[in-house]
Amino acid sequence: MEEKVLEILEEYCEEALAYTGENMMEEGVIDSFTVINIVSELEDIFDIEIDAKYVVAENFRNKEAIIELVRRLTKEA
Amino acid sequence: MQLISGNFVILWVISFALYYLVPVKRQWIILALASALFYVIGTGGLPVGLLLTGVSTYACGVWLSGNLKKQKETLSTIADKEQKKAVKLGFEKRRKRVQILYFVLNLGILLFTKYMTAALPFLEGTGLLGLRTDAFFSGIVMPLGISFYTLTAIGYVVDVGREQCEAQENPGKLLLCLAYFPAITQGPFNRFGKLQGEFDRPHAFDFERMFFGVQRFVWGAFKKLVIADRINLFVGSVFGPGGAEAPGSIYAVATVLYMLQLYADFSGYMDMALGVSETFDIFLPENFRRPYFSGSVAEFWRRWHITLGTWFKDYVMFSFVMSSVGRKIGKGAKKRWPKMGRHVTGIIGTTLVWLLTGAWHGRTVSYLLWGIYYGAIMCVSLVLEPQYALWRQKLHIKEGKIFMLFRMARTWVIVFLADILIRSESLFQAGHIYRALLLDFRLREGISDVTSYGLSRYGFLLLLAACALWLCVSVLEERGKDVRRLLAACPMPVRWGCYYGVALLLLITGIYGGSYDTAAFLYQSF
Repeated sequence: MEEKVLEILEEYCEEALAYTGENMMEEGVIDSFTVINIVSELEDIFDIEIDAKYVVAENFRNKEAIIELVRRLTKEA
Repeated sequence: MQLISGNFVILWVISFALYYLVPVKRQWIILALASALFYVIGTGGLPVGLLLTGVSTYACGVWLSGNLKKQKETLSTIADKEQKKAVKLGFEKRRKRVQILYFVLNLGILLFTKYMTAALPFLEGTGLLGLRTDAFFSGIVMPLGISFYTLTAIGYVVDVGREQCEAQENPGKLLLCLAYFPAITQGPFNRFGKLQGEFDRPHAFDFERMFFGVQRFVWGAFKKLVIADRINLFVGSVFGPGGAEAPGSIYAVATVLYMLQLYADFSGYMDMALGVSETFDIFLPENFRRPYFSGSVAEFWRRWHITLGTWFKDYVMFSFVMSSVGRKIGKGAKKRWPKMGRHVTGIIGTTLVWLLTGAWHGRTVSYLLWGIYYGAIMCVSLVLEPQYALWRQKLHIKEGKIFMLFRMARTWVIVFLADILIRSESLFQAGHIYRALLLDFRLREGISDVTSYGLSRYGFLLLLAACALWLCVSVLEERGKDVRRLLAACPMPVRWGCYYGVALLLLITGIYGGSYDTAAFLYQSF
């Protein structure tokens, strides 16, 4: 699962892989347009529904947070 | 009541003294009373609009929280997965209905009051109401800070529904979050949960924090009175009546100065609001991060009025894209156009946000065009971003300092063209200015006449010196330095020389009184 998420990130936002901070969205590493594309791709690949309440800076603060979000949602599904 | 006024300073000092004298559990009450006083003096009457929003927000928040609790309790008693899903859906539907009702009520009040002033002359002309409409609506039209507290309240209701924020059960605290006096006039927009947390924690007096807060307030007043209001003398003269005959070069100078005026005015207000709040140990979110150092328009808007952008992104864009309608459009577009289809919902969301941003800033066609202009640039640049990277690679363009300067200049040009649209008195004048910039630049005439548009040679020199100081501070901040801490670490003569220097410059060279209303902030009218 982790590898697939990283592959998606590599395709849509390579900088996100190298980012080691805690605020990827607010620091402009990943813009809202890219977030939408990544969310759509994650939904398709993992067959999950990512509600708007999960699309917040906290869940997209770095690659680890995105992996954690997908892990949580796949468990719930 | 304006932040730059004797009344405000008195209110600030008294509430500050009481704030640290009362027990920590009661500190929020002092801020609530100060906010109520600020609001009542500011509006000169009962805050009907604010109370209406406050009551509906309180009721909606508490109901949503109760409904979520009930849902959890009910679901815990059901074992069947399918039945659980159906029950959950039922609860969600009920919550959605209540939220929609709440949005219609509060957005209705906001739109009614915001657009009523524009419709007044028309209503009066038709005589439909059979009375003088200006007298009828005075006091009701445009309650102080209506945009601020309505958007904050809507954000709160969405957050409670999404379980991202606890419902506030104390109506006094809820009203304080909606109408906190340093922020109510122009923001910054607060995430309710974060601000609530700020009010809930205990606050002990700290001399350094108080001193830093006052410093930030003075720096904000400096930007407003020495820079923004001085620029206004020139800009008002060029864009105002009689400015139609100016050469293109004068319009170019006036527009560049207007770009700085807007920034100095709005960020000056933010410095004052955040400075006042800092003295109470309440930290509000930053609203600016030196936007004119941006390498792209998207970055510019990530650094300009940050809290409004975040609000639109969180509550409009993502809500739309993740809604059932947004998902349907997205899936359909992906099927139809496998390559470009993935961008469709993002493009619609961005366009929606920019149309709303334009409408939020002003009620004229110019603002709508301004929103469309930025929305279009944003969509095109985001879709073509991968192509840009390829072109840069093919043309062997390195991402060095020169390329960064080029990108910054490009951002300035884009903002420059947009600002002509919103500063002009009419679309006709904007058209005239674009034409003059292209076909009637008259550089020599501009250079010789530049001091005959409301700002003398001395005024320009003073402005240049103030802007140079501002630039130095901005460069230091851009490099991650905390200027107030840097100053505090300087030897005493240097430190106090700087403090007194800025204060004296503010007192001697600030634009006070006269024909231009110094107290009014540009963004207050947005």
